[in-house]
Amino acid sequence: MDVSRESEATPTKNRTGVERKSERELVVTRTVNAPARLVFEAWTKAELLRRWWVPKSYGLTLLSCEMDVRVGGQYRLVFRHEDSTMEFFGTYLEVTPHSRLVWTNEEGDDGKTVTTVTFDETAGKTLLVVHDLYPSKEALDSGSTGAMPEALDQLDELLASLGSNTETK
Amino acid sequence: MTLTGMKKHVGVLEQAGLVSTEKVGRVRTCKLGLRGLEEEAAWIERYRQLWAARFDELDIVVEELKRKEKANGRK
Repeated sequence: MDVSRESEATPTKNRTGVERKSERELVVTRTVNAPARLVFEAWTKAELLRRWWVPKSYGLTLLSCEMDVRVGGQYRLVFRHEDSTMEFFGTYLEVTPHSRLVWTNEEGDDGKTVTTVTFDETAGKTLLVVHDLYPSKEALDSGSTGAMPEALDQLDELLASLGSNTETK
Repeated sequence: MTLTGMKKHVGVLEQAGLVSTEKVGRVRTCKLGLRGLEEEAAWIERYRQLWAARFDELDIVVEELKRKEKANGRK
């Protein structure tokens, strides 16, 4: 949908929180108005995940998305951004239906970032906590591994234009 | 807090780019390194925006799953 960021297109939108817990940890929280089993499904079925993992406004094309969601199983996401492709891949370390997912991010040069997602259902709503543990402070600071590494850099410009205060580097 | 404790504390802040210190004679002056804080805040905000956008799309997918489940009359 091409509605501007600030509009109330979806009145039920919940707040996304981000907190840097420590030098090596970044935590994202968000409540989804649905039971954990449905939210978990959206995180573990490739055909569903590929519909939301890359926000439409980001100009990235998801070329392929393979996920073997079981302990020891691999995932691989391939994106195209302008003329280059990027790959994100890793291994699932823990898969507990409807409550917990743990995977590694192995595309970085300086060690693996481990992502833990918990699904906590209360009264039909699910609190999502996405916890990234980076191999080092430097890895977190440079954003060189984890959720959307280089993509984040490439998107700096775009986001700066979306945000109210434009910054230059 | 002891002097040693204080030194350690400031050292950590300095490393993180949050303060800068300057020693003149016996006096070390600390300045809040606002630049470090602002950069960190901007970086976190960009990261938050990515996830917020992502979750907004997730809402759409999950709403669809809800509707399907309802239509299928899950008991």
